[in-house]
Amino acid sequence: MPQEVNRRTFLKGITVGAFGLGSVVAVGNLLEILTFPNGQKVALAKMVILADKSICSGCRVCEIVCANFNSGGRNSPSLSRIIMEKEVIGGDYQPKVCHQCADPPCLKACPVTALQVEKQRGTYARIIDERACIGCQKCIEACKQHFRPARPRYDAQMHRSVKCHLCFGEPQCVKYCPLGVLRMEKSDKGLMVGYPIIQED
Amino acid sequence: MKPQGGWVGKILRVDLTSGKISEQSTYDYVPRFIGGRGLGAKICWDEVPPEVGAFDPENRLILATGPIQGTLAPTSGRFMVLGKAPQTGPVESFCRSGVGGHFAPELKWAGYDAVVIQGKAPKPVYLWITDHKAEILDAARLWGLDTYRTQQMIWKLHGPKTRVMVIGRAGETMSRIACILTDTGDASGQGGFGGVMGSKNLKAVAVRGTGTVNVARPKDLMEITHHVQKLFSRKSLRSDPYQPEEKNFKYNIWGGGYGRGSLSLLPGELLDLCNNPSSGYSQTPDGCFACPVSCRSRVKGPDITPGVAFCAQSYMYLESMVHQPEKGYSKVTWQAAKLADLYGINAYELMAIIPWLSDCFRGKLITEEDVGLPMKEVGSWDFIDKLLHKIANREGIGDLLAEGGQRAAARLGGKAEKLSHMYYPRAGKFAGYREHWVYLGGFPTGYAVPQLALMWVLDNRDALVSHSYISTLWGAAFAVGQNALTAVPEKIIPVLKPVMKAAYGSAEAAEFVQPDGKNLNWKWAAPVVKRYHEHSLLKDSYILCDILFPFLFNANTPDHVGDPTLESRIFSAVTGMEMNVEDSYKIGEMINTLERALAARDGRTRKDDNLHDIYFEKEDAGGRKYKREDLERAKSDYYRLMGWDVKNGIPTRPALEKLGLKEVADGLEKRGIIKR
Repeated sequence: MPQEVNRRTFLKGITVGAFGLGSVVAVGNLLEILTFPNGQKVALAKMVILADKSICSGCRVCEIVCANFNSGGRNSPSLSRIIMEKEVIGGDYQPKVCHQCADPPCLKACPVTALQVEKQRGTYARIIDERACIGCQKCIEACKQHFRPARPRYDAQMHRSVKCHLCFGEPQCVKYCPLGVLRMEKSDKGLMVGYPIIQED
Repeated sequence: MKPQGGWVGKILRVDLTSGKISEQSTYDYVPRFIGGRGLGAKICWDEVPPEVGAFDPENRLILATGPIQGTLAPTSGRFMVLGKAPQTGPVESFCRSGVGGHFAPELKWAGYDAVVIQGKAPKPVYLWITDHKAEILDAARLWGLDTYRTQQMIWKLHGPKTRVMVIGRAGETMSRIACILTDTGDASGQGGFGGVMGSKNLKAVAVRGTGTVNVARPKDLMEITHHVQKLFSRKSLRSDPYQPEEKNFKYNIWGGGYGRGSLSLLPGELLDLCNNPSSGYSQTPDGCFACPVSCRSRVKGPDITPGVAFCAQSYMYLESMVHQPEKGYSKVTWQAAKLADLYGINAYELMAIIPWLSDCFRGKLITEEDVGLPMKEVGSWDFIDKLLHKIANREGIGDLLAEGGQRAAARLGGKAEKLSHMYYPRAGKFAGYREHWVYLGGFPTGYAVPQLALMWVLDNRDALVSHSYISTLWGAAFAVGQNALTAVPEKIIPVLKPVMKAAYGSAEAAEFVQPDGKNLNWKWAAPVVKRYHEHSLLKDSYILCDILFPFLFNANTPDHVGDPTLESRIFSAVTGMEMNVEDSYKIGEMINTLERALAARDGRTRKDDNLHDIYFEKEDAGGRKYKREDLERAKSDYYRLMGWDVKNGIPTRPALEKLGLKEVADGLEKRGIIKR
């Protein structure tokens, strides 16, 4: 699990590491990363879900609670913002979470700025404004360049994309995971996670 | 008005003879019969008359989910396999078998509440079901492959997210003890439905669904799910996934004596290897879909077959632990269980066949030459390898054993049959299932419990797999610092009293021995067993897991009182239909009566509700005995409570009509089983 180690090691040295990167600037006590050609900045997420797959039992509660909570009782893993990848016979279970990337490819790809940074609850998660989303699936394509399966999902019934928004600061998958595979990492300064630190998984 | 959630609304009908695939509305049967066992019983009543044998094309193989499958509801990964069972014997009759794993939700997401398969394909086929369509595909290249390999081939074709119910060699050769396996170890074992699949030339049923199951009250469902999670488990310590993070919390499996991964490896060579991080072997908890507990473990290592371990894998080949006591649960024990999985043989049946064969050998009833097995080496790899190969391919003695232990014993007759009575308790024409009461209340090691005896004589397969009543006994035993093998009835009865009051409505029902300690108290057997049947039928119709439900014993409170309302609350949250506990018990009673009517139509009467002589001859550990007259009286009480005919144990017309089963009464009358 070299990536897992990378990410963790990085999180520990978060402040040092973050300031070491050229494109990161500090605004007050908040970190932002230069993203758009026009100089618009995206604040780093202050929360992220981490998964320790070594004790995962593969029960898929995370997937189904996500769909149930976020899609109005439509219980289906194809609507889940967390994805369980399984190799059944070898016994390798991997919950794939949205990394809330520091430099989010999905956000950059959105043609109508439906993808935004959530600031009301202060999670700074990358969220999709469902009123603005036109269902073009560009965010899914963009994410797929780096992460497979793509973390945003397409809700065919509602004709729009959905993605992990950390349940407004209280992720239900973390709460309902019976084994404690999933946990929250928080930092007021913002977390340098996901792309470009992890280029793919 | 259709319910707002739960059922997805369609039953898939497959006729393999003609290759015709059609759909039927689930609402022809639900909400009246709920799903699972109720749905299957109704379909069998309508379509599988007594003239149809288990291996006849006209028999139905029913894979039925319930309203809660595919949702967040705890333990919603289970489903039932139903139909006329080849294992029940000597007369084949309706039976059920539950399966866990991840198949059921996938079927619901594909848009079907149940699959009903009839007919016989002219050549080997498998069924491929995906979002609202199904196809019968050629399985010529899958026929003969083991259960793992078949699944891997299907995953190559249809993607790794496909879930597959598959038979192995034993099912193909129409063994009566063949199971249908999914993933690495979840199987529908009892009943022998693997043989039914084989008789239909159906190698596998593969499902992949991307659809949705609607939940009527998602918020309520989340609340109750969280409540259930808190009752049964806690998050793990990171250093030890089998320990709860909260000190002194007991995982609430069967009264708290068991925990996460409790059904996994027994102490010995393999567990030691798994506990050694540098060995390359490992054991981690593994859960069925939406399970808050994960009672099983997945085991892997460089030179063993990887897979899920639970009770069948743990207890199937205990002889190997006697054979090599210094090794304990060794790689041989594990591989033996895995070999049974690969051949698709029901491990529970092997737990009776192997000791019975040893008994016969010790009694000089069979010789090594007769059977072609190294009988002096029972417990070795050589023995189990040969035995399973013979059973799966029906070679030599295997042809006889593939008919199941009881049928094999009956064929040998005489003393060999007598010896088998130890393992197959029920007498009469509707037996064939191995004893399942190895703990408290089980012969020869435990205590006699009247309720358990009555449950056993009345069931249509092995009783107590529902665990509900017996979990209170186990829980009480753990609560007094004993275990299920050592606890004395006098010690646990005080603990049981408040529990029984909440679960069965009477504290007195806890006293299953007389105050003098010399005799059993049969007074409460009938009412307790009636409620036990209602609990079980409901649990198998909503389809919840019997390891958790009904929740009768709480290991983490001082009074240990459980909560039998959980199931109906989950049902209400998912479907949006109000269901209080008392109403739900009525439905349980109705389905129970329907199942009895099915058995009665196949010829079951009061005479078939009995135990073998050996169970009345032996004294239990406390010097008490089951007495025939007591059992007969309890049976009469039970029939009377259910409104059945006391003389023959067949449901009466008034009882059936009161439960809304008029068509069943008419059907029984037409066959002359009940009189007007």
